[in-house]
Parts: sequence; structure tokens; C-alpha cells
Amino acid sequence: MSSLVQRSQVTADQVIATETQPLLAAVNLTVESGGTKVLRDISFTLPHGRILGLIGESGAGKSMIGRVIANQLPRGFAVTAGSLPFEGRDLLALPHHEHRELLGRRIAFVPQEPTGALNPAKTIGQHFAEHLKRLDVPKAERRNVALAALADMLMPAPADVYDKYPFQLSGGMCQRVLIALAFVSKPDLVIADEPTASLDVTTQVHIIGLLRRLQDKYRTGVLFITHQLRLAAHLCDEVAVLYAGDIVEYGPAGPLFRRPRHPYSRALDTANPRFSGAWQPLSSPPGHMPGLNEFRNLPGCRFAPRCASAIDACVAEPPALRVVADGTVMRCIRDDAVPAAESVAGVLQPVGANAQSIGLMQVQNVSMTFHSGGLFKPKAETHAVKEISFSISAGEFVGVVGESGSGKSTLGRMIMGLERPTAGQISLDGVPIGHTAAEWRRRIGIVQLVFQDPRSALNPRRDVLNLVTQPLQSTGHLSRREMRDRAEVLLQDTGLPKDVVSRLPHQMSGGQRQRINIARALCAAPRLLIADEIASGLDVSVQAQILNLLLRLKREHDIALLMISHDLAVVRYLCSRVLVMCQGEVVESGDTETIFANPQHPYTRELIAAVPPEDLTRNWTQLGAVG
Amino acid sequence: MTTWRRHPVLAETRVLIGAGILLSIVAVAALAPIIAPHDPNHQDLLRMLVPPFWKDGADADFPLGTDGLGRCVLSRLIYGARVAVIVGTVVPIGTALLGGIIALVAGYCGGWVDWSVSRTVDIWMSFPPVVLSLVLMVGLSPGLRNVILATILVDWTRFCRITRGAILGLMKLDYVSSARIAGATHVQVMLKDLLPGIFPIIITLFSVEIGIAVIVESVLSFVGVSVEPHIPTWGVMIADGLVTVFAEPWGLVLPMMAIILTVLGANMLGDGLRLSLDPRLASRPSLEV
Repeated sequence: MSSLVQRSQVTADQVIATETQPLLAAVNLTVESGGTKVLRDISFTLPHGRILGLIGESGAGKSMIGRVIANQLPRGFAVTAGSLPFEGRDLLALPHHEHRELLGRRIAFVPQEPTGALNPAKTIGQHFAEHLKRLDVPKAERRNVALAALADMLMPAPADVYDKYPFQLSGGMCQRVLIALAFVSKPDLVIADEPTASLDVTTQVHIIGLLRRLQDKYRTGVLFITHQLRLAAHLCDEVAVLYAGDIVEYGPAGPLFRRPRHPYSRALDTANPRFSGAWQPLSSPPGHMPGLNEFRNLPGCRFAPRCASAIDACVAEPPALRVVADGTVMRCIRDDAVPAAESVAGVLQPVGANAQSIGLMQVQNVSMTFHSGGLFKPKAETHAVKEISFSISAGEFVGVVGESGSGKSTLGRMIMGLERPTAGQISLDGVPIGHTAAEWRRRIGIVQLVFQDPRSALNPRRDVLNLVTQPLQSTGHLSRREMRDRAEVLLQDTGLPKDVVSRLPHQMSGGQRQRINIARALCAAPRLLIADEIASGLDVSVQAQILNLLLRLKREHDIALLMISHDLAVVRYLCSRVLVMCQGEVVESGDTETIFANPQHPYTRELIAAVPPEDLTRNWTQLGAVG
Repeated sequence: MTTWRRHPVLAETRVLIGAGILLSIVAVAALAPIIAPHDPNHQDLLRMLVPPFWKDGADADFPLGTDGLGRCVLSRLIYGARVAVIVGTVVPIGTALLGGIIALVAGYCGGWVDWSVSRTVDIWMSFPPVVLSLVLMVGLSPGLRNVILATILVDWTRFCRITRGAILGLMKLDYVSSARIAGATHVQVMLKDLLPGIFPIIITLFSVEIGIAVIVESVLSFVGVSVEPHIPTWGVMIADGLVTVFAEPWGLVLPMMAIILTVLGANMLGDGLRLSLDPRLASRPSLEV
């Protein structure tokens, strides 16, 4: 009872300011660009030796906070209010050279794209030497310091890595090097901006584990920027959920993850496919995060247009942070507000194929061997795909999981006919299919492939009408009127408004572009859709919309799907059957639930272990620190 | 911004200046018989090396003076623009067609087609262009048509190499495969997806080629293997001006300035068009937060 009374007296400011002199704090930080508040009233506290997670989808402003700390705001952006005390000294008021002195010594950064962050013309050793010189480490000691730092990251052979160039290392190795570089000065603060976004899942768990290990060892404060709520829940002590430049919810990671209160935090939670428990349809608010140019029309709560509980007061002015539980604050004026949800009608749990249904597509002993070398180089063979056999029935959703380089994309391209298998046979409707012009026409009438990145797959010079009706243009002589009608049906099928028909791809959001990408594949009325990682580049709420769209299409058009993905939770959500691929071979295949519940092959077990579990008590981040 | 400049191409100042310069030169060339004060080949041996109007001893009859044979410099500049305009139009079209089509086929087909085209271009480019064009002109007879032919045969490789590179870049994008999957024929993919993608590069190269064509023609004229001797060109004027450069430097400087102006106009137009025709550069999307 006494705690309840106490709680009501605590203000939001007090909840945030937990310490008198924390490592880093943001106090009412506001960043503006052209009169628009890009970041509004950001406040957080990062005590020494703790991890604060900044969570949000692209456009939430989470990377902008890192840029403010690094004093690297893009042109036209400026901090207009607030302060950013680092051990009591306001970083924003610090003279330029003093601020720069802190960077790299006491404040270090781990970037998002490890391969791009290292200079390809310099060895790892040279990267260290340069950084250590700046840190005034005597020349004689530099090598040993660097080797010790690499050993700290549990590198198998630090001396070998020391002499290598970045391109000779994998993405995960490069990220280990960058983390070692960041920690070599024993900084007080490390800012990690999506350090695992471009890495495989099994590499991700190692990198997270190593980051945690070093953070623990040196009592470093870490600002961890991510879009993965569950990952943050495992790694971070506190988390701040950002939406369109606002911190909408802030508090201890565990309770916030178990019971999100802000409608946006809830939306993140319900849109995230689960890897355990019963299957349930994902729900996601319609639309997408507003862009900078839309901010001026949203003077109040920026989430209000996507919130089911929004009232007039929500849109009038920005809601203040208020205390909702021990240590948790939220920027919402309503209790138990819920996000708006797209209808999940027609979204049904995937079930196995009907035993009587005939095989739509069979792959028999298909292999793909790449030959490299030639006149001046020794010849070499790479087995991208080795003797794979499987089949898909009409209306069946099959998943292919594996890490990059496992040959799963090559498999998809071979079924589509973009690559010729070096051995084996692919049959459609029981008839083997080859590579003549007539067979190509038959193939594209049955199979369509949706590429991973719509920015690359959509010709930037074609408008939406032109793009979605592309399959009609080569054959028929349709009038513009007929094309328009067909386009409208396709846009409706994929949940897009009619008025996008005259837009160009770059005038749409990422989710809309992916829908266009899918709509084009549907235009040819295929019976098998091959989806190559089509949900992985998308934010979680948009991903949920796309996944539900696929399930709805299955129900409405009886489409079969080959879902190529590295995300096991996505495959579990969509597919009744799964193939696990490793180095070109299918190591395990069968019913999705059975395989994920009871994996037999060690590689499958490794993949499953890399998924952050729902259960926060399992010490998932410890897993990675072993080798 | 005024209404007529709303279109992105017209909003680009470089396009306006460049097009302005080039159109003026075209107009001068077209109207040469009307605006030129004298017959460009008429020699007035009593009035040789008259200085231009801003210097002492100028003659009102010859605003830009006369050359060593007493021919009107202004009239020769005006008539010289005709050859420059024809060469600067036909040569870029020719190189774009020849180089572009070969590049499109090579880049799209890949394999041995691409290999043989690339090696041919390599060998072709290893000849010094001026020497190659001189040899060609010696083999062919003088005349405007042969000058154009020689320049195209020498310079198609530049077009071919750069557009091939751009096509290889586009081939890596999934939209080419997507178009194939959507049922487009090879020719449709080339024309509808690849060609528009390299359009900005073609525009830039085209404008660079305008300048190069004018310069190459001048070089050939300068050494006397270009058009027939009675046709005035800027290159011939430079050669003539060089003989009398110590007596009257303007006979040399003025045709050089005409060439520089043409090349500058072409480059500005090309640069501006490239920027304004690329949909991704034209309307920049809002910054990622």
C-alpha cells in the first residue's frame, strides 16, 4: 500500500533521472529540421555499466539520437532545445575539440554495416594501429594491445586476423573486429547502432553475447539501438520505445516486454511472429510510420492516426510522459489504449497439404555447381546446391530456412528458371520443364518469383500502373482502360489504395513497394509464388501486414508459396512444411511444428537456439559468448 | 519560380544556359547567308590583317577584322559554324546509335558476345584517336560526309564502353529478371527496362560527344584533311590565324573561343539534363531519420 502512495507522488522526470550523475542523460532533447520537430522532448538516463535499448522501426529517430551524441547531424538538422550531459558535462555545450577528444576514447561507436565501416585498403592491424596511435599507446605496445583486444572478442586466431584485410573476413568477423576496436580504449559509453542487422541469426547471437561479455567485463554503459523488441528485452536493462521522434514508453526491459502499455509498444509486440506457443494471427496497425514531411500535420500524438483508442485530446497536443508503473513512463493520455488493427479475416493457420492433392512442382536431385577460374586461374568448383529433392502441392506453403550462402536463393532462382541446374530435373504439374522458349512461357504462367528488395526489383522509371500490369504488356494488346481495371483489382488484392497507380516507386514507402512487388507477381495469376526474403527488409509492423497478405492470398487464390527466409518465426507463422538448408544441402525437412519443436540435425538446433526466446529468464545472451 | 520553369528540365539553370548557347550557334549557322556581312571566301588584298573593332585602326566594314588574305573574320566565323553544327549533330547521333546498340547487345547477352565486343573496343581504343582519324581521312577523300564517318568510326568506342558498364550495373538489379519473369521478350527488356535506365548516361555522353566532334573536326581541318578547301571552318581559321599570329592574334583567338563556347554549351546542357532527367535525383525523397 505504501508503495502505491509513493508511486503517485513520483513524477515522470524523477523516474527518468534515477541518478544524480549518470553516465549519459538526455534532458528534453529536441531536434528540428525546417521548423519540424524531428525529435521531440527526448529524455532518458543511462547509468554507468548499464545497457539502454532504443527501440523503434525505421523513421522512429533512434539513429538520430546517436548522431546527436556524435555531433554528426545531417545538414539542415539542429538541436533546438535540451541538453545531453555526459558525466555531468553537457555534450552540446562542449567546445568542438573537447567533444572530439571524447569520441573514440570515452565514447565509442559500433556501426550497423560492418563491412562498409572498415577501410578495404587497410589490414585489421593497420586499423588498430591508427586508432591506438590516437589513444597515445606507444608504438611498441600497439600490436600486443590489438591482439589482446581481438582475443577479448574470442577470436580463434587473433594473430591471423590481425594481418588480414576486411574483405578476407566474414561480416560477423568484421563486426567482432569493430566491437574490439570500440572497446580497446576501455570507453565509458558504447553506442551500438543495429550492430547485427546485416548479420545471420547464428552470428547475431554470438555478437550479442560478446558485446554483453565485454560490457560486463569493463562496466561499460551501452546505448543499444535496435528494431527488435525481443532482442532488446534479453540484452538491455532499460528500454525506450521510439515512434516518429517521440519516446512513447520508457522503463525496465523485462516488465515493458512482458506488459507493453503504449499502443505502439503493443503493436510491436502483436506484430512480431512468435516462435513458441500456439499459432495466432498477427495483428498490425494499418499504414506506416509517418515521414518527416507528415510530422507538421500531427501536432499531437503522432501515433493517433493508427490508434483505436485515440480521442480528440490525443491529436490536440503532444501527450506528456506519465508514470504508469514502477519505473515505467509512457506518453499516452489513455489507460490501456490499443492500436488499430488491420482485419485478419481470411488469415488462417497454414495446414499441411491435402494428401490427395497432386504435386504442383517437383524438384528431383537438383544440383547447381558454379565453375570459376579460367585462363590464368586454377579452375574451382563451388557446389551452391547439392542434390535436392522435394515437392510442393497446390496451395501449400513451404519454407526454406538457412543462413546466407546456404544456397536457398539459388534454389529459388532455379525453380523460377533464372539459373539452369547443372544436374537434376524440375517438373511442373508432373511434366519436366526445360529451357526452351515455349517452356519458359509455360513456366512463367505457373511460377512467379518475388524478389527480396523492391527497390531493385521495381524499375524506378515505371509507374505503379505500368509495374503491376507488366506481365500483360508483353503478350496482350490491352487497352489502357483494361490495364487500369486489372491494376485496380491487383491493388485491392494487395491492400493498396487506388490512387497510387500513377506514383513512381520512390514515392512510396517500403511496405507499399513490397506490395507492388507482390501485386506484379500476382498479375500473371501464378499457382506457385517464390518469395525470396520478402519480409526481411521490412519493419515488423509492415512485415506482419505482408505475412497476413500472403495467408489471405492463399485462401482467396489457392496459391502455393515457397518462402525463402532466414527468420524461423516468419516461417513458422506462414509455412506448414520446412526445409532446413546448410551449405547447399537439405539437412532436415518436414512438418514445421515438428521440426522446430524437436530438431534432429545439429545445424537446425543451432538455428533455433539463435532465436531470442519469449522466456526472458533463459539466459539467451550467454549462449553467444562461447566461441 | 515562374510557371514556364515548373518542368524539372526547365528548372535546371544549366539546361537553359547550355541550350541557349547551342541554339544560338544553330541559329547563326542557319542564318549565315543573311547575317554574314561578306562572302567568307572573298579576299580583299588591300585590307589584310585589319584588327577587330575595339582596337586602333579598325575598319567598320570588318567588325572582327580580316585575316592574312583579307577575308572577313566575322563572316568566316559565321559560316564556320555551319560545319560545326552539322558535325556536332550527326556525329553524336551516329556514335550513340553504333556504340549504344553494340553495348546494349553485349551487356545484355554477356558471355562470349560481351567478351569479343570488349576486346574489339580495347584494341580499337589503343590507337591514338587523332592518328586513326587522320589515317581514315587520308584513305577516304576530303568532304563533310567522310569527316563525319571517320569521327564516328573513331569515337563509337567511348560510347560503347561506358554504356556497356552502365548496362552491366543495371543487369545486377532484379528488375531486369523481373521483366523476364513477367514475360517480356529480350528485345522488350532491352528497350523498355535497360534503355531508359541508361538514358541519363546517353544524354551526358551525347553532349560530351558534341564537343568532341567539333574539336575533332577542327583538328582535321587544322591539318588540312577535313572538308573541301573552299568551305570555311573554325579549324582552318586557326591554322590560318597561326601563320599571322604575331601580326594579328585575334584571327587565332576568335575561332578558338567559338570552339570553347560550343563545347561549354554542350557540357552544360548535358550536365543539366542528366541531373533533371533522373527521377531519383530530380525529386529527392525526405531524409531518413
